[in-house]
Amino acid sequence: MLPASLDEAVEALAAHPAAVPVAGATDLMEAVNAGRLRPASLVGLGRITELRGWRYEDGGTAVLGAGLTHARMDRPDFAALIPALADAARTAGPPQVRNVGTLGGNIATAAPAGDTLPVLAALEASVTLARAGATREVPVSHLLTGLDPLRPGELLTWVRVPLLHAPQVFLKATGRSGPARATASVALVLDPARRAVRCAVGAVAPVPLRPLEAEAWVAGCIDWDGSREIDPAATAAFGEYVAAACVPDGYGAEGAWEAVTEGPSAAAVRLRRTVAVLARRALGRALK
Amino acid sequence: MTTDHPIEALDAGLLDHAHDHAPQVSRELRPTTSYTLRVNGFERPVTDAWIGESLLYVLRERLGLAGAKDGCEQGECGACSVQVDGQLVAGCLVPAALAQDSEINTVEGLSAGGGASDVQQALAESGAVQCGYCVPGLAMAVHDLLQRNHRPTEVEARQALCGNLCRCTGYRGALAAVQTVADARAAVAGAAEAAAEEAAAAPADRAAAPAAAAPADPGPQTADLPVYTEDTWIEHVPQPRTEEAGTTAGTGAGVGTGYGTQDGHGTPDRHSAPDGHGAPDGRGGYDGQGGYDSGVYDTTVLAPVRDVPPQQADGSTGFYPAQGYPEQQPYPGATPAHGTYLPGTGYPDQGGYPQQPGYDTASAYDGPVYETPATPAHGTPYVPAPPHGVPAEGTAQAGVPYGATPAHGIRLPEDDHAS
Repeated sequence: MLPASLDEAVEALAAHPAAVPVAGATDLMEAVNAGRLRPASLVGLGRITELRGWRYEDGGTAVLGAGLTHARMDRPDFAALIPALADAARTAGPPQVRNVGTLGGNIATAAPAGDTLPVLAALEASVTLARAGATREVPVSHLLTGLDPLRPGELLTWVRVPLLHAPQVFLKATGRSGPARATASVALVLDPARRAVRCAVGAVAPVPLRPLEAEAWVAGCIDWDGSREIDPAATAAFGEYVAAACVPDGYGAEGAWEAVTEGPSAAAVRLRRTVAVLARRALGRALK
Repeated sequence: MTTDHPIEALDAGLLDHAHDHAPQVSRELRPTTSYTLRVNGFERPVTDAWIGESLLYVLRERLGLAGAKDGCEQGECGACSVQVDGQLVAGCLVPAALAQDSEINTVEGLSAGGGASDVQQALAESGAVQCGYCVPGLAMAVHDLLQRNHRPTEVEARQALCGNLCRCTGYRGALAAVQTVADARAAVAGAAEAAAEEAAAAPADRAAAPAAAAPADPGPQTADLPVYTEDTWIEHVPQPRTEEAGTTAGTGAGVGTGYGTQDGHGTPDRHSAPDGHGAPDGRGGYDGQGGYDSGVYDTTVLAPVRDVPPQQADGSTGFYPAQGYPEQQPYPGATPAHGTYLPGTGYPDQGGYPQQPGYDTASAYDGPVYETPATPAHGTPYVPAPPHGVPAEGTAQAGVPYGATPAHGIRLPEDDHAS
């Protein structure tokens, strides 16, 4: 099924509850090719042009269509809007994947290493879920954590992102120099209006993590009225703080007990170092 | 990530991440559908195909277009790159059923004129081919890049090719091919522009201006290809190709040779010998052979397959499977350029299909190709730059619009921020 409008798609989903909504299909087809999934039927969302763009809402919010491809988000006009999301989209994969992979699909798949997810978490974005005759608004973190999951017949349609007009940074560590899955990623946005720093760490846990205490602490270290400078030592400490908050001692260890008795596992130490460097650089670049 | 419990509460297949509950789909459930794919400008019906079949599978197994290769089925390797609606995609990650009424271009379409495109030719000549498995994908990626960006920088080329893995040759050859084609096309475009200006300057010749611009290219080619001057193949050269003018003329070689890359994995081969690079041994076989009477070749067929040249002159070559090509002679016009006319499925047992014609990559190596001075004969020297992606150093980021993040991740060992 290839509905041409959002209404048709929602109706099709209501009529065929077992159908899988498919946008870019990059994650879905990987599962299908590996034999992990046999879709009963597909509802292709690629023809819904209204979901492939974005619009503005008053109050400084951008409403992004779930069908925005990574390649589209990479383009300069979008990058001027939400730089961190553009950076995440640029590093998300090879061109062949970014040309079709969509923002909505990234959220719906909710892969641990999904590159846009920490950015959306840091931006405190919310998503609109549509079903036949109704829509509802859910914070993206609630959706990702399963606090308020996608329900039967619902379609992820819009992503609301606040426009902060401030530096945003997305950094990711991968295993190779080409496009690859993140071993850790950090999204950091400044919110000068609220004098806040918001940071999210991706790929180290099933969902992006927000080190709230570290954020609050570092926001107090920044001279918001002046040139937004910060002591390099505070930046480094922020990195360590974020890493300690997001990577538990027992990371990668077989049993949690072992980790408790013997301190942080080797994998945790390694990952913390990665996250600390990412967070430190992200903050440094945001305040540069 | 949504945890498991909501998934179990839902029907199977409701979410995009429905692959999490594979155990639920224990019953044999293979809904099929029929649709028509528009591949390289030809309508190709697909009947009773499972909806989960990837475009790659359908192209290869149902339509007989084996150019795109099945590497990883995960979108990592790029060997299956095709264009859907003008965008480069991984064929293995596109549900074929959802690609109906999209415009699909495969590597077979690159050589729609019957000869290798300039991109394929340049890849062959720059030494980018060893085992050849990645080359169709690379050819599509280079083609796609040069469609969007006529003068790509080194960094842009690396970024565009970063999704195509090659384990044989490294990427220097492919990157060199990008620049070769870009330079050649720019030269041709410049020449055409100059010719057009010249024609425009002389009002009397105004009517002839478009004609002057187009056949400006075949001129040098015919000089390059004396073998074919009396052939009907020359007729193919001025034939309007849908791509930009520079396409056919790019390297000034390989056009009109007629040795189409039958299935795309043979991008480099079959045209390497007779294309005017001075294959002294092979020449004799083609010179003055009486077998080419012009009536044989119906130029209305988009991709006429050339008859087998007499083998006696270069019997050593592997690039003309002797019995394969004559059987392709009754080539119906309805079947496209890919040269794989297969009414049904299962291409290998079709008589018309030459014995896996693309795998004779040996022809890419024998003879003149590697005598190109710029190309090392085997292997590429180790270069400090990463084979794909952007070096972490600041200078290489010149082409990255947003300097904050290198194109592909960051390097951790050195800390560029400490100061």
